[in-house]
Amino acid sequence: MKKITKQLLESAGGKAGDSKKDWIKVGMSTCGIAAGAQKVYDILTQEIKRRGLDIEVKKTGCLGACYVEPLVEVCLKGVPRVVYGNVDEKTAMGIIDKHICSKRIMNDHVILR
Amino acid sequence: MYKKTVFIKDTNFQGLGQTKELYNKFLEALRKKNLQDKIQIVRVADMGVYSKGFVVRIPDEGILYCNVKIEDLKNIVSKTLVNGQIIKGLQCDRVEKQLRIVLRNCGVIDPESILDYVDCDGYQGLKKVLLDLDPLGVINQIKLSGLRGRGGGGFPTWMKWNFAQKTQADEKYIICNADEGDPGAYMDRSVLEGDPHSVIEGMIIGGYAIGARKGYFYIRAEYPLAIERIQNAINQARDYGLLGQNILGTDFNFDLEIRLGAGAFVCGEETALIASIEGKRGTPSPRPPYPSVKGLWGKPTVINNVETLANIPYILLKGPKFFAKIGTKDSKGTKVFSLTGKVKNSGLIEVPMGITLKDIVYDIGGGLIDNKQLKAIQTGGPSGGVIPAKYIDTPVDYDNLSKLGSIMGSGGMIVIDQTDCVVDIAKFYLKFCVDESCGKCAPCRIGGSQMLDILINITEGRGKLEDIDKLKRISTAMQKASLCGLGQTAPNPVISTLTYFFDEYKEHIENKKCPAHKCQELLDYKVIEEKCKRCGGCVRVCPTGAISGNREDGYKIDLVKCIKCGKCFEVCRFAAISKE
Repeated sequence: MKKITKQLLESAGGKAGDSKKDWIKVGMSTCGIAAGAQKVYDILTQEIKRRGLDIEVKKTGCLGACYVEPLVEVCLKGVPRVVYGNVDEKTAMGIIDKHICSKRIMNDHVILR
Repeated sequence: MYKKTVFIKDTNFQGLGQTKELYNKFLEALRKKNLQDKIQIVRVADMGVYSKGFVVRIPDEGILYCNVKIEDLKNIVSKTLVNGQIIKGLQCDRVEKQLRIVLRNCGVIDPESILDYVDCDGYQGLKKVLLDLDPLGVINQIKLSGLRGRGGGGFPTWMKWNFAQKTQADEKYIICNADEGDPGAYMDRSVLEGDPHSVIEGMIIGGYAIGARKGYFYIRAEYPLAIERIQNAINQARDYGLLGQNILGTDFNFDLEIRLGAGAFVCGEETALIASIEGKRGTPSPRPPYPSVKGLWGKPTVINNVETLANIPYILLKGPKFFAKIGTKDSKGTKVFSLTGKVKNSGLIEVPMGITLKDIVYDIGGGLIDNKQLKAIQTGGPSGGVIPAKYIDTPVDYDNLSKLGSIMGSGGMIVIDQTDCVVDIAKFYLKFCVDESCGKCAPCRIGGSQMLDILINITEGRGKLEDIDKLKRISTAMQKASLCGLGQTAPNPVISTLTYFFDEYKEHIENKKCPAHKCQELLDYKVIEEKCKRCGGCVRVCPTGAISGNREDGYKIDLVKCIKCGKCFEVCRFAAISKE
């Protein structure tokens, strides 16, 4: 089913955010990539695959907080949704270990807006 | 697993330095109630609330406590966390200053997936347009919304569309101007990269309204990722039948193509942009005729900015009245700014029109780096001006900014602090325009470089008072006689700095001093004997051997030999070198 028809558009829309699955989003615009988002994205996808976790890693655009790129947003059931800023390889591993596996939000990296 | 989360920022109780004082005291208070395994305290890197002392946020209940004192912690734990009571004295209302319309999907959806966009109400505006409205109906909706062009001029979008719609022709075109070139501005790039489909949807709707069957994206080649994502989005839209023949089963046909710009600033000007797409040299031509009457290949053409187009689907989806409620009397909706310069939280922000500069700089931007004093705010890039700190309470909209001698522009906003020299800034922007001038008309080509010469003289200590008059005269000539917007607006930074910071120009000219210590040529470096520890570090870095002396007698800088490179100032660990 490739064609988007009137009917499809009628049933679509307003579905944003009701995905039942847990997800991680990495800000991958030029600003994020320049700050190292590609590396973070690679580590997150690799680690999740290696550990066999049921969580989706998505690319997204600029979240606006360019002063703390790369940005990673994590949505996990039972844990408040947060955005991590200044994420490097170490922090990315920390997100997997602490946030995703132990359901503990990491200290010192959360950006609230 | 924790039942609740509390966010705190690990500053000391004055909200200044970084300590773990609050964190430790909070943990202590939780332990007393034996709650440490149920409630997690998270030290955050950025609270999003500034200058309110110690801040505690509890996301589940949406509680925000400001100016928290050490003795309040016990109460917060026993009342709020145990019993869910709100402590009135500490509670703060956080008013969300930002409003995301253009950036509604940026950072939310996957820009490479059309289905993600459809899930977020994507292409619903288009559906409404194609099935329920005729072209004049669409234009009327845009008219009611009060949308004005976001590229800089602020011309009402519906009027552009209306002119093109009314002009009879066998072919018409719509162009998306993504030739963003202002120094420090990257709003359009982020929208193209983060939400390409919203711009495409805006273009299809625009094409339908004016009767075009073909649209072009004019993107600068320096934005490879934006080009890749737009191309990908165009391909997807074509695959899904949203571009091409019989869109959504109607008899409307429309397709899009990308044209790359080679990075000439002047190609952001309508007529130069059209010439560039036609394969000619990118130079402007006199208007009228305006592109909406005679544009690309001589046919009626509408050129809209990326941000303008990204607003269109939203307006049609939510209705023009909803959009017109946001903003001020003559400026509706929101504006995206790239907030840069000496501000703590630089980045992309979207605010409703009418917000004050103060809110932008201090509440969203978090204030100035190192809490320095604000000197001015530059808006509108090389075509804009500077707004001095005393006008910080001005609501931001098209008319207010032009009253202050600046413009809204495409959305660059640069924060300037006391260590920046405004003459230097004016010189920087003028240099930019001189470099980017296409050279076609004399006022811009010659006037620009003459003004630049004068500014260089002033910043290097060769300025005369009559230069100010010369600057003003050349400015007027350029404004009146230049062929296009680039030359007409190039003197703006000079004029506005002259208006607001005349004293600073005078200081440069009469006393040969730069009050901000920025203009290298006007600085004299000196060794402060009392502070000098005689390490000899400055002697080693001086490239001209201008520093003489020894460990016993101390050091001296020979001002004749000194080339004012500033190396000794940077290397001195004892701040024993002064520049005045």
